Amino acid sequence: MAAHHAEIYRYLRRLTFRSAEAEDLSQETFLRAFRAYRALPPDANVRAWLFAIATNLFRNSLRAAKRRRAAYDGAKGRGREDDGDGPDGVARFNEARVAVEAVIDALPTKQRAAFVMRKVHELPYDEIAKSLHCSVDAARAHVFQAFRKIRHSLEDAQLPAAEGSA
Amino acid sequence: MSPTMSSCRAIQPDLVATATGDAVPGAEARVRAHVAACAPCRQELERYRSIDRIVGDIRRAPVGGDHADIVRGDLEWRLAELRRRAVTARVWSSPLGPILIARSEQGVVLVEYLDSARGLEASRALRRAGVEVLEDGNETEAFYQQILEYLAGERTRLAWPLDYRLAASDFHREVLQATATLPYGAVVSYARLAREIGRPTATRAVAQALRHNPLPIVVPCHRVIGGTGALTGYAGDKLALKERLLSLEGVPVVRARRDRRISRDAMYVVADHDREYCVPTCGSLSTLPLWRLTLFATRDRAESAGLAPCTSCRPDLHPLSA
Repeated sequence: MAAHHAEIYRYLRRLTFRSAEAEDLSQETFLRAFRAYRALPPDANVRAWLFAIATNLFRNSLRAAKRRRAAYDGAKGRGREDDGDGPDGVARFNEARVAVEAVIDALPTKQRAAFVMRKVHELPYDEIAKSLHCSVDAARAHVFQAFRKIRHSLEDAQLPAAEGSA
Repeated sequence: MSPTMSSCRAIQPDLVATATGDAVPGAEARVRAHVAACAPCRQELERYRSIDRIVGDIRRAPVGGDHADIVRGDLEWRLAELRRRAVTARVWSSPLGPILIARSEQGVVLVEYLDSARGLEASRALRRAGVEVLEDGNETEAFYQQILEYLAGERTRLAWPLDYRLAASDFHREVLQATATLPYGAVVSYARLAREIGRPTATRAVAQALRHNPLPIVVPCHRVIGGTGALTGYAGDKLALKERLLSLEGVPVVRARRDRRISRDAMYVVADHDREYCVPTCGSLSTLPLWRLTLFATRDRAESAGLAPCTSCRPDLHPLSA
């Protein structure tokens, strides 16, 4: 079980912006998982189950703190409040990346969770569906909506020219 | 002919899925056909491909790797702490009523008679204990089966590692450990037990420790009785259970009006730390106070405990009549 810790922590880092919160939530995820582990059927998918616990805890923390972000329109150009990685605004490509991250951070919870699980952790859709207690189609729709919002929040100029484009 | 706006909207989910490597079967072909005739959607496809590359970059970027190690270390410490405090418990039905059995990593930690089968929340001991309770019977089922065999008279030993963490004090623990060595079919007094642990004046404290025995049956406090031979008390107000457990082991219990007591005259006797057992009338034994004696229900029980028949009263040749 603890073998999944790095991944869950990383997932929560992506969801929460702040490393302290990700630390708390990842700890809580595993403490809860430990307490409930025995109730889990032997054939259960532990990884998807951990993602589900982490997602639920994250959603509860949002509800509790009412720190839901405003709409993503304020997201453009805004940096992450991160203690993290990489110097600020060095390259154009990084600018686009920062903008994309800002949009991701402002997505509604389910879209954000689905998007991060799919695109960062590369979970299959059936596992994402289990984590979010939704259908596989709904999970796909969440990811699609996330991409659409990212697309619409970016200026065409922010998207690096790709070969073959008109 | 260029596609209509509505067909552009309809193709969008497939288009995004194709650009981001998530296409379902057939989607790519549909998108290829559409963009071949629709320049705006062809551009959109490329933009989504760009976004997917940016997202791939985000995926590959480290996220607080060093931090994760610290968090992981902290988590493992907390999980270890939780494991240490954790007990698994379940309520089972038994001929003595519902009993709760709990175990820790070290061994059986609690056996509790419950007044109702409501479940773990009926347990007063668990509420007090400050342990992390996980409901699970898998690890105690074998133990429970042995308890059933024991209560059916098919087993005389419950050889399980015990965890005395619910003992209220070191003194209680000492009393429980001494009690755990009492052989099947034998009884001693609280006063005798107090002397055994080197606390000859602590008879009442010994009785209190056994009253709060967290491991009844396994730590056979039912084999400890009052200095007059009266059963005295058991698990609060469950004297009938004490009589039942003693009768199971062949210990003769007689009822005298409000009292229940063992029948000293019907038991084999060992004084102090003798290695021989006698009939109760051997020599001066009948005049010794009961607290100095260990009493055995049967010759078999005495001999199972490693004792030899006395060479003067010869209980092997002149056994007590049943």
